[in-house]
Amino acid sequence: MAYIAAASDTWGISGPTFLGYFAVAAVVAAIIAGIARRIIFAGPSDSTRLTLAPQQVAYLNGRENLAVYASLTGLRAAGVLTSGPGGTLQITGPMPAGLTPLDVAIYNAAGRGARVRDLNRDQWVRPALDQLKESVERTGYATTSSQRSIARLWALLPAAVVAVGVVRLLDGSRNDKPVGFLVPLLFFGAILALSALLYSNRSATYATAKALRKLRVDNQHLAPRMSPSYATYGASTAAMGVGLFGAASLYAMDPAFAAEAQIQRNLGTASGGSSDSSGGYSSSCNSTGGSSCSSSSSSCSSGSSCGGGGGGCGG
Amino acid sequence: MTDYGVGIGWRPEIAGFVAGLPGLRFAEVVAESIHDHDDLPPGLAELRARGVAIVPHGVRLSLGGAEPVEPDRVRHLARAAERLAAPLVSEHIAFVRAGGVEAGHLLPIPRSREAVDAIVANVERTQAELSVPIALEPIAAVFDWPDNELDEGDFLTEILDRTGALLLLDVANVYANALNRGDDPAALFDRIPLERIAYVHVAGGAEHDGIYHDTHTDTVPPAVYDLVADLCARHRPPALMLERDGHYPPADDLRAELDAIAKSSGYPAVT
Repeated sequence: MAYIAAASDTWGISGPTFLGYFAVAAVVAAIIAGIARRIIFAGPSDSTRLTLAPQQVAYLNGRENLAVYASLTGLRAAGVLTSGPGGTLQITGPMPAGLTPLDVAIYNAAGRGARVRDLNRDQWVRPALDQLKESVERTGYATTSSQRSIARLWALLPAAVVAVGVVRLLDGSRNDKPVGFLVPLLFFGAILALSALLYSNRSATYATAKALRKLRVDNQHLAPRMSPSYATYGASTAAMGVGLFGAASLYAMDPAFAAEAQIQRNLGTASGGSSDSSGGYSSSCNSTGGSSCSSSSSSCSSGSSCGGGGGGCGG
Repeated sequence: MTDYGVGIGWRPEIAGFVAGLPGLRFAEVVAESIHDHDDLPPGLAELRARGVAIVPHGVRLSLGGAEPVEPDRVRHLARAAERLAAPLVSEHIAFVRAGGVEAGHLLPIPRSREAVDAIVANVERTQAELSVPIALEPIAAVFDWPDNELDEGDFLTEILDRTGALLLLDVANVYANALNRGDDPAALFDRIPLERIAYVHVAGGAEHDGIYHDTHTDTVPPAVYDLVADLCARHRPPALMLERDGHYPPADDLRAELDAIAKSSGYPAVT
């Protein structure tokens, strides 16, 4: 038997009918907002053709701070940077060739003894970061603030549905109507609306996110758990490791520098997924050039070929 | 054994470098870095799929210990060999624990008849679990035990003869031992069965206070390449590999060392 709108129904719509409409409207609104995001944030059509430079990867993965860390990693791997007291930087060699504008700005800031946490505000680093941001936005790698605003407008659609539900809840309660089913449904709608808003805040376009996922798979050897040797891979690859797997990579490659320079360890790892720094396959001997094996947690005891008649790592 | 040519010790720190060697056909991985219930470390499966032979190199069996090898460790080595479809495995003629105490280092065993009996028994226990041959590697020693009954050549030959095992010869520690004792490094080549060599380690070292340390964290000295050439002139082993365990240099330096091994041995370059 069909429900017939009784005069006493709130807004002239029966409770079960409203619940049905509400649920459908909330889901449809969330889907529309999702489709809008897909279109707004699509990015370059062929994600396999994207060529992302290490600092661009870092920016897309962890915004400005990770871009700065990627640059620090490159300069450190090039052997021209060290840490001074109180999280400051010092240069230890002439400026290498092939630097990016951000590298040059950070190299010069380090020459003035800048602190890592102040780099973003440095008068030369700031424009270099703006230039990096502009480059990834122009190419469609990163979302722009206007794209994010438009996506947020679309996210208001599910929010509006929830608002209607809230008004109904208030009116219904005032009329002493049962609202027990509407409350959980409102909660569900609110989650949809909130996620639509959160997803509107993404920094990488969908094409870029796909390209980043592929890069992470292709560059597993740079993950922190592999303790990659950045001396072997070189400056640019080391910077790529930090860009892809976050600041934990710098800690894995160069723990003393990372700690002294007060690098935030967790930056850029949350979206990395597989970039855990636990466990690890490291089996290396002391990497500071000494002749004895290191006694750190991941060295000899975890099954390396260290050891050898007191002669150090000979095996 | 087929000729594999020049290889390299796969280590996680340089996995990307190893993956990028176009001519590579032979690599070695520290057996204990492969975990039974975990995926193979990233990159190893890809090397395997490319047809690169990968040999698990044990460092913790303690074959030279007075007590029997631990069955779990032997099973782990056998399992690693199966997962890698390895043509052989290798371990050291050394002990790493005694009476339940872990040394954390490979320690030399005295070259006595009693020690030969103990190590032969342990090698046989290990061979019983393995479906592939095992190669045994003598270690570098900066000192000799005072009660040695056998010289190095006789000691090795007897162990190999009694077990039927292959030999993993570390040219760098042959060099280190000879230098530290003031002997001729090549003299050992006359005393051991060269045709039993499964493969050769080539590694770097450094001299401190008049003692040469086989560190595996320094560049390979030219004299070690000369020794490689000398060995290959007598009997060229199926594979020779660069063994670097830390303080990894730039990729170009590693390539130069691999090329130098190729040049001294006459095998094609893998870089």
